[in-house]
Amino acid sequence: MSANINTSAQGKRARKIPHTDEHRPKFIHQLANGGAETWLSAIIFGFGSFVNGQIIKGLLYLASEVGFILFYLTFGWGYVKDLLTLGTVQQGWVFNEAIGIDELAAGQNSMLILLYSVLTIATLVPLFMIWRNSVKSSYLAHERKLAGIKQPTFLKDVKTLLDLRYHMTLMSLPLITLTLFTALPIIFMVAIAFTNFDATHQPPGKLFTWVGLTNFRNIFFDNPKYKNSFGGILTWTFIWAIFATVTNYLLGMILALMINKQGIKLKKLWRTCFVITIAVPQFVSLMLVSRMFADTGIVNETLKNWNWIKDPIKFLTDPTLARIMVVIINMWVGVPYTMLMTTGILMNIPADLYESANIDGATAYRQFVSITLPYMLFVTGPYLITTFVGNINNFNVIYLLTSGGPLNQNYYQAGDTDLLVTWLYKLTVDRSDYNLASAIGIIIFVIVAAFSLLAYNFTGSVKKEDQFS
Amino acid sequence: MKNLRKIVSVVLACVLMMSAVSALADKVTLKVWGSNDDQKVLGELIEEFKAANPDTEWDISLGVVGEPDARARYQEDPAAAADVFAFANDQLIDLVNSGALRRITLNLDQIAAANTAGSIESATLDGTLYGYPKSADNGYFMYYDKSVFTEEDVKTLDGMLKKANEAGKKVFMDLSNGWYIASFFLGAGGQLTVDENGKQVCDFNNANGLAAAEAIKAFAADPAFLTGDDSVLVGMFGTTIAAGVSGTWNATVIAEKLGENYAACALPTFTCGGEQVPMASFIGTKVVGVNSQTAAPLQAFQLAEFITNEAAQVKFFEQRELGPTNIAAASNPAVLENIALAALSAQGVNGVSQKLVLGGYWTPAEAFGLAMENKSTEDLQSLLDKMVAQIVE
Amino acid sequence: MSTREIEHVGLSHSMKRRKQITNAAIYVTLSLLCIFWLLPIAWLVLSSLRGETKEMYTSYIIPKQFTLWNYTSLFTDTKLFSFPRWYLNTLLVAVCSCAITTFLTLMVAYTYSRLRFKWRKRFMNISLVLGMFPGFMSMIAIYHFLKAIGLNQSLVALIIVYSGGAALGYYVAKGFFDTVPKALDEAASIDGLTRNGIFWKIILPTSMPIVAYTALTAFIAPWVDFIFVSVIMKDNYANYTVARGLYMMIDREHMSEYYTRFCAGAVLVAIPITALFIKMQKYYVSGVTGGAVKG
Repeated sequence: MSANINTSAQGKRARKIPHTDEHRPKFIHQLANGGAETWLSAIIFGFGSFVNGQIIKGLLYLASEVGFILFYLTFGWGYVKDLLTLGTVQQGWVFNEAIGIDELAAGQNSMLILLYSVLTIATLVPLFMIWRNSVKSSYLAHERKLAGIKQPTFLKDVKTLLDLRYHMTLMSLPLITLTLFTALPIIFMVAIAFTNFDATHQPPGKLFTWVGLTNFRNIFFDNPKYKNSFGGILTWTFIWAIFATVTNYLLGMILALMINKQGIKLKKLWRTCFVITIAVPQFVSLMLVSRMFADTGIVNETLKNWNWIKDPIKFLTDPTLARIMVVIINMWVGVPYTMLMTTGILMNIPADLYESANIDGATAYRQFVSITLPYMLFVTGPYLITTFVGNINNFNVIYLLTSGGPLNQNYYQAGDTDLLVTWLYKLTVDRSDYNLASAIGIIIFVIVAAFSLLAYNFTGSVKKEDQFS
Repeated sequence: MKNLRKIVSVVLACVLMMSAVSALADKVTLKVWGSNDDQKVLGELIEEFKAANPDTEWDISLGVVGEPDARARYQEDPAAAADVFAFANDQLIDLVNSGALRRITLNLDQIAAANTAGSIESATLDGTLYGYPKSADNGYFMYYDKSVFTEEDVKTLDGMLKKANEAGKKVFMDLSNGWYIASFFLGAGGQLTVDENGKQVCDFNNANGLAAAEAIKAFAADPAFLTGDDSVLVGMFGTTIAAGVSGTWNATVIAEKLGENYAACALPTFTCGGEQVPMASFIGTKVVGVNSQTAAPLQAFQLAEFITNEAAQVKFFEQRELGPTNIAAASNPAVLENIALAALSAQGVNGVSQKLVLGGYWTPAEAFGLAMENKSTEDLQSLLDKMVAQIVE
Repeated sequence: MSTREIEHVGLSHSMKRRKQITNAAIYVTLSLLCIFWLLPIAWLVLSSLRGETKEMYTSYIIPKQFTLWNYTSLFTDTKLFSFPRWYLNTLLVAVCSCAITTFLTLMVAYTYSRLRFKWRKRFMNISLVLGMFPGFMSMIAIYHFLKAIGLNQSLVALIIVYSGGAALGYYVAKGFFDTVPKALDEAASIDGLTRNGIFWKIILPTSMPIVAYTALTAFIAPWVDFIFVSVIMKDNYANYTVARGLYMMIDREHMSEYYTRFCAGAVLVAIPITALFIKMQKYYVSGVTGGAVKG
């Protein structure tokens, strides 16, 4: 990272009026030294801009303040005021004799109260940022006035969005969608874990409310049913993730090595054969495969016709066999991806490494173990971690193949091949136990996050990102 | 205070009257959910309903949500769910508990008089009727191949298995399914009810239950036993399968496959602790309910009543062979001659209402059935204890 | 490579033989694996051509009767399941969400790779953390947000849902941008290009593989997802995508009647994706190797 774009940009900045974070005095300083218009800007957004002739900018600030206030008055407050109780008025009925039917006395909807409260509270963040900016821009305008510098026109301000403040332009849209469709829903989900939103507390008919850590206590200590299921499913989730990751990785690499080996013809054809399986949607191919291996499926029927077996092999209904089968079938799904990815990297391995090994008379196996594998592991470390995490949450393969079955009598609503995610899914969709599912979701997150952090820190190939080129 | 309440209710009534009147002029939008197989009949019934009520401008749409899925699909978003929907009556308690259904107050006496007492009871909770009975067919019995079994053979399960083994054929029953496996437990005198707190009560792990479990184990271990889902039953009936436990919804297909060897009867007896005990079965109905969140309750009630009345049930029987709950429709000679429905009503003697089965029963029962199919060597009593512990929560 | 080939000219006879044997073994293994991999696909295609349309389970692989009815009826029998409509829905959603996702992802990746600003590291960490939550639970919330702005059960909602998480998928593309020499930017900057100009005129043109890779993965998502569609569309069948529609054909109620047609539909979905994949394989490989692993 010698002289790159950043340093040159900073050079430009230094010559200008303070506009960047590094040179900006603290907020209190701005308030204190920005003149009366800055004080007023903290209450009436954009006031300072108006006073200093930046009309459009001022109008934008003011409009956003009015917009926020209207939003809180007409929408937000109606929900936030009930956040602590999550509603107290339950749906009821009043019999209307005139027409002979009940009238619905609509109650409060705990779920919507929680959801929209989260949304409303989250809007405080942009409001705060706009407030800060209103004060800041008023201060800067004030400073410029004192220094006798012409105020930048609105057009000029906008233009900086394409260069100096380009990150704002690029990031704003992705950040908004990310907040609305990922971050807020997750906060909502986390909140649900502390409520009793289960099958017997379904809005709009029933209210639900805060219950503190009860759900977590149930999972870890109090409820033996949940406790047993959680322990068993967690263990299997890890066993599965390890086997699924390792088998796919090794087999994919070996496949790529075989196809890439010099002297092997029709490389493209071989690769295409395997790639086709990626192109068939998983719910189709996995459904088919699970049908093939059913007790009365085509595999068993064929084996019976050949008189190899008398009773069907319980591929997917015997607990141990089912676990083995899902790992094997997962290879069918995942190996083509690994093959594609490793194909590119294998070509990057310096050829002289192999040449000297050849001269030493090393076998193909030795070459694989002492050259290919270490190199690959080094380069694909982060990829392995993401794959492992992906496998912990590998919903599709398990759900579509076995739906978690065969059911286990010791588990609550779960089977022997169930992963934590599929269990979570079943709890929400089949049993409407949202609170339990959310708690499990949080636990999955903690496990995954802790694991990833550890792994990332121990992986040699996570290079310092700026050390490229 | 009392006066205030009166005033409020009068005002409310006025508003409602006005809205009811203005509704005549406005367009009424309703959505109906029914199973895929019912779509054609429902479509025709809706057209008839529109023709019978020409004063209103109707916009009635029809969605495919089968009776078994109604509760789950409803709870995803009650406000977006159908105004009028059909459900299996074992979901009644859950639906009422979550405030999903409007109680029925209009034409109560006529409805009660027109339908069989059992079907009305199946849609009633604490003395309140929550749905219009649509069909009485949510039960199961035995289909069999006359060329393999005599009428004497099908009286006992042991007799059937013996004959099937001799012929190299299979007797089908989906034991890894709480609905079917209950047949043994209930036959042995097991209780599956709900206590006053709304909790499930189950005694399948007592001595009777153990005797039933032993019978299940023996059945599952028999070479002639075959399990699977409906697609297996339908696919192999007539070739591999010579007898199978199922319900009326498969009647047409099985009749087609067996041709003149098609027959059906009540479930056989099984050996329970040395005695022959008849297998019981769940008896359920399909019921049409009105969504509590509907914007047009009056019209929704009207429509729900219309698609479950005598004419509608006759139509459902004629096109779909659904067993009527309507007394007049059920006395139709064609209904009485129907082989599958006759078997269903013969089985009715040993029927147990499915209304008091809560959602938590199915998965543990299925897990137990699966253990039996997998020929688990674990102690039966401990398996039963585990199952009951899960069921009663 | 060439140096190694020259070396092999001098190989002894026995080594040559051994090499032939290894290659033969590899051919055999590859062929076996290929059969194993293609068997389910072959079964799918054969089932889609099966004349015995009422049978779900058959104990044989090759149909007794071949027919194209399964395909034609998907387009003619549209009263309940409107396959053509679903197909067009999916195409529309896929094209739109592909365009939006590609842009959002590349914008975010470029920002993280090239621009330095105060919250950069923090944003990257937050994104990493957010990506670790299992997605299911958030679906209820997303549904109700979309409902609040009147978009529930519409195709627009689906496009939003598929492209909404784009900012989390920056990882591969950022890795790729990191490998593009920074000297290019500097030269352009000296020539007076703004950062906006650098992004469009320098970075994007040199990063076609990653553009193609991002677009390809984004385009495929709507064709294979069946869970998000269910949550958004619920009972609005007209707005289903093919994946959700096909999934409905194999639920308990419809399976026996629609099984062979389901297979036909699945083939029709697989064809364009396969074609795309084969055509773009080169980009996919260089994109994923360049980005995911920083090779």
